[in-house]
Amino acid sequence: MNQILKNALLPAMLLAISSGTYAAGEHGGHHGSDSVGEPGKAENVSRTIDVTMMDNYYEPESISVKPGETIRFRVSNEGALVHEFNIGTAEMHEAHQEEMQMMVEHGVLKGDHIDREMMEMDMGNGHSMKHDDPNSVLMEPGETREIIWTFAEATDLEFACNVPGHYQAGMYGDIDFE
Amino acid sequence: MKKRMLAALFGGLVSMAVTAAEYDISVDRVQIDTGDFVKEGIGYNGASPGPILRFKEGEEVTINVTNNLDEMTSIHWHGLILPFEQDGVPGISFPGIKPGETFTYQFPIVQAGTYWFHSHSGFQEPNGAYGAIVIEPEGREPFRYDREYVVQLTDKHPHSGDRIMRNLKMSADYYNRQQQTVGDFFAESGEKGFMAALQDRMMWGDMRMMKADIEDVQGFTGLINGKGPEQNWTGLFEPGERIRLRFINSSAMTYFDVRIPGLEMTVVQADGNNVQPVNVDEFRIGVAETYDVIVRIKDEKAYTIFAESMGRSGYARGTLAPEEGMTAEVPELREAPLLTMADMAGHMDHGGMDHGDMSSDDMADMNRDDTGGDDMAGMDHSAMGHGSMDEGDGASMPEDPFYAKGSGLVPTASNGGKFLSYADLKAQNPLYEHREATREIELRLTGNMERYEWSINGIKYEDADPIVLQYGERVRFKFVNETMMTHPMHLHGMWSILDVGEGKWNPLKHVISVAPATTVYMETEVDAPGEWAFHCHLSYHAASGMFRKIVVEGGPDSTVAEGKQNGTPGGES
Amino acid sequence: MSRLTASMCGLALTSAALINPAMAQEDPAKKTQTAKTFWGVSTEKLEYRYSDSDEELAVIEGDAYYGTDELKFRWLFEGEWEEAHNAWETLENQFVAQVPVDDFWDAKAGIRVDTPEGPDRVYGVLGLTGLAPYWFEIDTNLYVSDEGDASADFEAEYELLITNYWILSATFESLLAFSEDTEIGVGQGLNSTEVGLRLSYDVIGRSFSPYVGVVHERKYGDTADLARDSGGSTEDWFAVVGARLSF
Repeated sequence: MNQILKNALLPAMLLAISSGTYAAGEHGGHHGSDSVGEPGKAENVSRTIDVTMMDNYYEPESISVKPGETIRFRVSNEGALVHEFNIGTAEMHEAHQEEMQMMVEHGVLKGDHIDREMMEMDMGNGHSMKHDDPNSVLMEPGETREIIWTFAEATDLEFACNVPGHYQAGMYGDIDFE
Repeated sequence: MKKRMLAALFGGLVSMAVTAAEYDISVDRVQIDTGDFVKEGIGYNGASPGPILRFKEGEEVTINVTNNLDEMTSIHWHGLILPFEQDGVPGISFPGIKPGETFTYQFPIVQAGTYWFHSHSGFQEPNGAYGAIVIEPEGREPFRYDREYVVQLTDKHPHSGDRIMRNLKMSADYYNRQQQTVGDFFAESGEKGFMAALQDRMMWGDMRMMKADIEDVQGFTGLINGKGPEQNWTGLFEPGERIRLRFINSSAMTYFDVRIPGLEMTVVQADGNNVQPVNVDEFRIGVAETYDVIVRIKDEKAYTIFAESMGRSGYARGTLAPEEGMTAEVPELREAPLLTMADMAGHMDHGGMDHGDMSSDDMADMNRDDTGGDDMAGMDHSAMGHGSMDEGDGASMPEDPFYAKGSGLVPTASNGGKFLSYADLKAQNPLYEHREATREIELRLTGNMERYEWSINGIKYEDADPIVLQYGERVRFKFVNETMMTHPMHLHGMWSILDVGEGKWNPLKHVISVAPATTVYMETEVDAPGEWAFHCHLSYHAASGMFRKIVVEGGPDSTVAEGKQNGTPGGES
Repeated sequence: MSRLTASMCGLALTSAALINPAMAQEDPAKKTQTAKTFWGVSTEKLEYRYSDSDEELAVIEGDAYYGTDELKFRWLFEGEWEEAHNAWETLENQFVAQVPVDDFWDAKAGIRVDTPEGPDRVYGVLGLTGLAPYWFEIDTNLYVSDEGDASADFEAEYELLITNYWILSATFESLLAFSEDTEIGVGQGLNSTEVGLRLSYDVIGRSFSPYVGVVHERKYGDTADLARDSGGSTEDWFAVVGARLSF
């Protein structure tokens, strides 16, 4: 992509990142956020699943849930690189990867470091490159975070890392509905 | 061929189980059928390419190599970190393997990834003596795949290596069939006017240099795993699978631009070392480099692996298909690139040439920025404007920090997408602690195109002292390419840490490709005692003098007595 | 003390300098890893000429060499066989050593032996050959014969690529004598010029390239007079057909 095009796209991409309810939610098409589920409440949590991020894969590589179940994901990044844990459909992940690509190109994401300051920066139009969607956590090496998520009905879902190249290298796992 | 056994070794306080594997390789005269021609050549275990050697990280391998030729031979394990006596360079590592003799290599496997092996004697490698090495890692790979294929590229030529070398010496443009013709001249004058076209021709003619001088040796058939385009090597897959393709460029002279139309490729390894994954549509693989990519194929249809030579004089083609016999469209070769004045900049500054009637303005534009590597990517490539010479191209010129600004060689993806750059390569898991280099050694890549003489710092190997390094130092090599050819520089025995400006994430390689008129830095942790070869991996450049011996003094188990070597410390400076 | 150190350093440097060439010999990889000596045989011209005055000639011009980048031994041969007389009108063999003197130029020195029909001559040769700007291939020599006569020749060739296989080559040759040698038909001054235009096609690599062309030969001054006196022509147009060969 040439520089001019890239610059022209930036504001548009920022808009997409910060205005979607969920990362890439706008691009999800008919697999919209409804079928993905929604942020859960602590009191509804039925169990906790530990997910370890390695370079560049998860342990475990698949998890199973019941429709309507609320799960606490305790995600720890034991790799040496920045990784994401994101719940969505394959299409949502694909769309989100383009956004993450922009973050890399603008220096927000570097191998093992997230420039949170730059991410928070107001780009002058009320938008920023924030990555604070409830279905996703973006973590530096050594970090541990939690997501509480209530799944909806059975659908094709994956948990994935959308740091450029990571998904394609195989850093995703299936969410199987029991 | 392979006898695996488990040997328990007890050493010191810890007892560890070491797997040992034994291989037998014979070096044989073989027939090579490219589909375009059949040629007598050299192979391993009766075939060219030879077998894929599958090692496992942590094991000790024993390889018995039997020479069935009537001339000396050798096998070099390209990219492998091993004791220097096992490196297989006749005259440096060992004397070579005599006809009828069996030589036993034995070394521990201390790395994982995709590598290759080839003869380091005469022109046996271009004549067919090469094969692939796949090393399975001890731990889990940082990526997933369901199946894997080695995709080993080569540029098989109907002429023998000796004959090619001789012909190039007789006439450096012997094999160049892309030279500018009368027709090209009229096409060019139609585009930019007769006078401009004439002026351009005069400028190149004045220097006695050719724009079309990108591939020295044309007329080859590109092979994938020994199969020509018509023979169509095919790798099978089940839809939905993730496939790892281990690309190895075993060519004598040819860089390939590789793509699989319809598939995005994720580069996960370069020269055997894991890199942070990069999604690309196309990549350029220099001679002797390897790239591992992962493709995920969803549809039940065939895909063409298309590898066009950098100068577009030939191509290799293979297919990924759900079943044997299925094919996909084979693209046309794209138009051949032409060098620009930017690619000449290194030559002009240092070549001591008569610049004839070029205006002083042109010359001012051509002065290279030689102020040092203070720029982000660690490069101080030519900062040349192309002003009146390449009117109209300027704005739309693709850029890559590893090519001279305005270079005609900057690659672009055929679908307009992402083309891999060296700048995209970042180590997945740095092997070495990052530290300041202890010193810098400048190596100017030099040559005389017309005479087909290639050298380093203007000195051919036969007239050069070895480069002497001290065990434990970290040396920063500064490659300054003063020629108009691209040189894939290969250091044996130690990693080449390519400076892409990413500090500890700079990738480990064993071949560093240096484009015309650019300066590229690499650093080496000098951690391997002994004597090593260092050379341009273009067969006919290495053989004409772009080669050095490197001596590492000191270190544990040093078999090289200090003071025995007489090279000046640092050798080239 | 410092003086001692300095002189020791000096000694070390000197000995290093002395030993280095020997060490350079000692690296056996210099033999195994480099290609050093080369050879080649080619005939630039191997052609049949038919003149506008029905004269028929067979012409050969070529060379063979063996050597390194630094020193080549070259045998150059040139002959014109005249059909009518069944004899070599010219036949010269040069044996020269050739060394590079510049990026694009080689100097030559050696001997030339002419053994055509008629009197023989032996010459000492000093020459310069190479590539001039704008891709002109130049070859020029100075000769001194065993009779004490000095002469010079100059050849230039330009190849125009119609395509990468159809090549139009233009040649110009001239001979100049500083003193006359009437016995072999040489007058003082400009002797002769030959201008040729040949269209060739590379059939097998660059090893076999048949061609057709035209050649214009002209003699001047005393040399022309000498030619006329012996019944020869002073100006000829030839149609030529032949092939370039290279091994």
